[in-house]
Amino acid sequence: MAKVQVLNVAVLDNPSPFGNPFQFEITFECMEDLPEDLEWKIIYVGSAESEEYDQVLDSVLVGPVPAGRHMFVFQADAPNTGLIPESDAVGVTVVLITCTYRGQEFIRIGYYVNNEYTDPELRENPPLKPDYSQLQRNILASNPRVTRFHINWEGLADKMEDSENVDPSPNISGMFPPSCIPGKMPHLGVMPDNSMDCISTSAM
Amino acid sequence: MLCKPIFSVDIHPDGTKFATGGQGEDSGKVMIWNMAPVLREEDEKNENIPKMLCQMDNHLACVNCVRWSNNGLYLASGGDDKLVMVWRRAAFIGPSTVFGSSSKLANVEQWRCVTILRNHTGDVMDVAWSPHDVWLASCSVDNTIVIWNARKFPEMVTTLRGHTGLVKGLTWDPVGKYIASQADDHSLKVWRTVDWQMEANITKPFSECGGTTHVLRLSWSPDGQYLVSAHAMNNSGPTAQIVERDGWKTNMDFVGHRKAVTVVKFNPKIFKKKQKNGSSPKPSCPYCCCAVGSKDRSLSVWLTSLKRPLVVIHDLFDKSIMDISWTLTGLGMLVCSMDGTVAYLDFSLDELGDPLNEEEKNSIHQNIYGKSLAITSTEAQLSTTIIENPEVLKYQQERQNSAQANSGPGGAAPESSAPKLNSVMNGESLEDIRKNLLKKQVETRTADGRRRITPLCIAQLDTGDFSPALFNSVPILPSGSSMSSQLTPQLSSDSIVYMALGFLIPAFTCLSHYLRSSVKSSLLLTSASKIEPMKALDSRFTERSKATPGVTAAISSTAGLTPLDRPKDGVTAQKEAKTKEETSSDSEDKMAAINKNLTFGKRKPELLLDGGEVVEKRKKGRPRKDKMAASMAQPFTQPSKVVAPPAPVAVLKLPTPSTQKAFSLQVSMEPSVFLEVENEVSMVAGSKLSQLRCSRDGRDWNTLLPSSVVVAAGSSDILAVACEDRMLSVFSSCGRRLLPAIQLGTPASALHCSAHYVMVLTAGATLSVWSVFSYMVRNTTECADFRSCLPSHDTPASSGPLAVMQGRNLNAGRLASRLSSTPHHMQQSMTLAFLENQLASALTLQSAQEYRYWLLIYARFLVNEGSEYRLRELCKELLGPVHKSAATSWEPTTLGLRKRELLREVLPVIGENLRFQRLFTEYQDQLELLRNK
Repeated sequence: MAKVQVLNVAVLDNPSPFGNPFQFEITFECMEDLPEDLEWKIIYVGSAESEEYDQVLDSVLVGPVPAGRHMFVFQADAPNTGLIPESDAVGVTVVLITCTYRGQEFIRIGYYVNNEYTDPELRENPPLKPDYSQLQRNILASNPRVTRFHINWEGLADKMEDSENVDPSPNISGMFPPSCIPGKMPHLGVMPDNSMDCISTSAM
Repeated sequence: MLCKPIFSVDIHPDGTKFATGGQGEDSGKVMIWNMAPVLREEDEKNENIPKMLCQMDNHLACVNCVRWSNNGLYLASGGDDKLVMVWRRAAFIGPSTVFGSSSKLANVEQWRCVTILRNHTGDVMDVAWSPHDVWLASCSVDNTIVIWNARKFPEMVTTLRGHTGLVKGLTWDPVGKYIASQADDHSLKVWRTVDWQMEANITKPFSECGGTTHVLRLSWSPDGQYLVSAHAMNNSGPTAQIVERDGWKTNMDFVGHRKAVTVVKFNPKIFKKKQKNGSSPKPSCPYCCCAVGSKDRSLSVWLTSLKRPLVVIHDLFDKSIMDISWTLTGLGMLVCSMDGTVAYLDFSLDELGDPLNEEEKNSIHQNIYGKSLAITSTEAQLSTTIIENPEVLKYQQERQNSAQANSGPGGAAPESSAPKLNSVMNGESLEDIRKNLLKKQVETRTADGRRRITPLCIAQLDTGDFSPALFNSVPILPSGSSMSSQLTPQLSSDSIVYMALGFLIPAFTCLSHYLRSSVKSSLLLTSASKIEPMKALDSRFTERSKATPGVTAAISSTAGLTPLDRPKDGVTAQKEAKTKEETSSDSEDKMAAINKNLTFGKRKPELLLDGGEVVEKRKKGRPRKDKMAASMAQPFTQPSKVVAPPAPVAVLKLPTPSTQKAFSLQVSMEPSVFLEVENEVSMVAGSKLSQLRCSRDGRDWNTLLPSSVVVAAGSSDILAVACEDRMLSVFSSCGRRLLPAIQLGTPASALHCSAHYVMVLTAGATLSVWSVFSYMVRNTTECADFRSCLPSHDTPASSGPLAVMQGRNLNAGRLASRLSSTPHHMQQSMTLAFLENQLASALTLQSAQEYRYWLLIYARFLVNEGSEYRLRELCKELLGPVHKSAATSWEPTTLGLRKRELLREVLPVIGENLRFQRLFTEYQDQLELLRNK
């Protein structure tokens, strides 16, 4: 069972001009004292077509985390417009908030983001080169998509033991972090094992 | 409609809610529902009455079983993730939604997982709380049954091994002597709770069974006489096999279902035939009622007095029935099915008969097993009792308020229980905090230049409180008593939690507003050309980011995690071994502890002033600190009227009677009092207990003694017994211990009682006579010695001489935990004996404060346990004669405390139990009368 439950994420400063920083107020609850920090990230999906254009807007460590309810505001700068394909600047994309513990992602919260011109004139006839100063970012805050992953909360200590016990080849284990020693874990691809609920995408 | 299967259903003992367990989207799901909309249509239509109270998807895989503890405080759930989770209502947290859940239904109640029990290596199929919640049992497809110590989670008591197939059902014997399990290995096994060994292995009716049912929920009848199995076969037909407790005979079964029986559930009530108008009242045999659910989607209800089923309901569901739960009243039933639905059935008294009340049920138990389950919750019936006295009403309300303060806002109406929006923390509202959170939160840079935010802690967790509350209630706090301070921290910490958590509710209310008011439409109406990229985007929600350093796709898959689990298992195994060691030493400790408290004799001789051997022993120095608890107050009680001088050396040796296994005698003709002694009735943690039973005018009481009774005597007023360990105990006619146990120098040779005098002739030729009523101790011996060898007490709480002598080893909580492994009636007797002893000791030591403290605890215990005779006797003694008469020997004060004042303090305690409202009124009126005089 996950030791950390996200209870709520409030999207602050929304809607806002495209250049404003993202602000999420995150409330979470922890079952027991965590010996290590949580790492939170905001990822801006630049284009639906490829992960190539993903931008990690920022990553913060959050800690120390004793048992109890906590909240913090995660603020990150707006995406670097230079890295966004021009054709994808206007329209719907996604922003992701992820949290990892001991290098393992256990929750992913996604929001649809709609970028559009506030000026009806521009909306009708958008310029070929996007004018980011005129774009408004609107995060669909009412509809977070939460995916939870099972991770090993006990963390690295076990993995270390494991690598010592299982892997006899020191030159390989020296090259990889202990969590990705080749041959030890079957590469089955990504399998979300607890995706919370799916809004009906067919409606869109 | 496509629904996820519901595997289990259980109605809360208070009947206001029920839990279901089953499959969620990608996890197991436990849900708690409000009962009211199920029972009443108008409540169902009323939008202000929530239907769902809480949902928990913490189980990683399908939940196979949910069960409420008998006291209703906990919910246990077991699932395919091999885990048993124990849930407790988190007090003082208001409604919240499950973040990210599509249904914006708020959790009206917050239930929090307080402990996770890990031991099973396969899916957990069934869980069951023992009577009085001493143990929790769980069974699994790993072929084992694990017994957990429910007073000390996650401690394991034992693992029952013997099944060679998947164990799919569990049931406790209502008197707590056995637990039965049914498995796919074609057997039903009965296990003893005394030594956790197998009592019976029943295989014959199951030999033809195939492992076709998901569950095999068997059930024990409320009178304990019958055990009914799930799936059994008789002549190739599916049946529910009836197993008789007497000899585990399997001669009868419930026949008629066309497919395997998945679940059997006895109605908690025992019924008797409803008297028809006009017909002569015939005494009829009480009977039980049993519901049987099957894979054939039908449900049958049987009365043990009828050969045919009372009712059979076909096609109730589209798929197999999975679980059944009766209400505590015995008139309602919830049934759940694989098809994802739950049905509620209710019955009338005409159909089932008249349910016996708890007293009648207890007397049936008593008749069959010679003991009763006295404390079986009587709340259900008492709620219908009319309160006759306004004062009683007041105390009832106070009690409810304090109970609510303890258990959180009750009731199903969220708005009434949610604190106001202006709740504050350190004078700052959550709103203010949120406004300034970004500015105020502490952000630092780590050595490698990364941002690090210290989150703001907005609430502590109120979990993990498994300390058994003594007598299931708020500890009494005698005002001004020195003892009270030891209990206050517990209460005040509760209220701190309240302070800390109270302000959370507004946060959630305003957040949900916030969410609702935000834009929705603009995005959903994007043009069709956007659909493809939208789908592409959708996949991003569920895929882990590749950019995450240190995380590979391999580790994110569950299969990848399995090799990691292995070494952990090794560690767990080691830990287990350790735990087991600890447990065993712990139980030894317990054993010793019980010995200390119950075997008064062991170290006494060294403290006596007479006798040759004694002098020698005293030279060995001061008794060890940890033995002090054992000493209690007995060494200091010397006969007040020693007729013969103490024998200098034991030259004389009078014959002493030999110990018999059991004997009885009539001690008085008018009123007729019979005394029955049974030695070594049971072993509790290495200490042999003897039972003293007394019947006076048809009223019975009994008590336990830590040693075999050698001689007994009595008069119409008192009873006295002398034991092998040379302890003399004196009881009132209602069984109250009047004196602390008295240590005799040598074994008793003869014992005689007359009116309120006790005479003892010892083997050492000492003749002592005690007068019970004018009893005052002249000889208080030297306390100073013992005080000096004890560490000084830093808590002002334990400051009386009694507490000093007993040391701080002795506190109620520890006592309770020591007793917890014994059956309830034993605990009750032992607690009673202990409390009476404390009282008598405090009296002997003339410690008024402690006397008052223990008196109130004692009264509360009597009130809770429902011992009216003793309570009445206590009140009578405190009140004294209402009309003055010269002949009376009643003293208005005891240890300088006015008895009637004490009675005034005791009365509110009595008023808390509705059952005693007549007693309350009676004594309150008399007190009032006396005051006016």
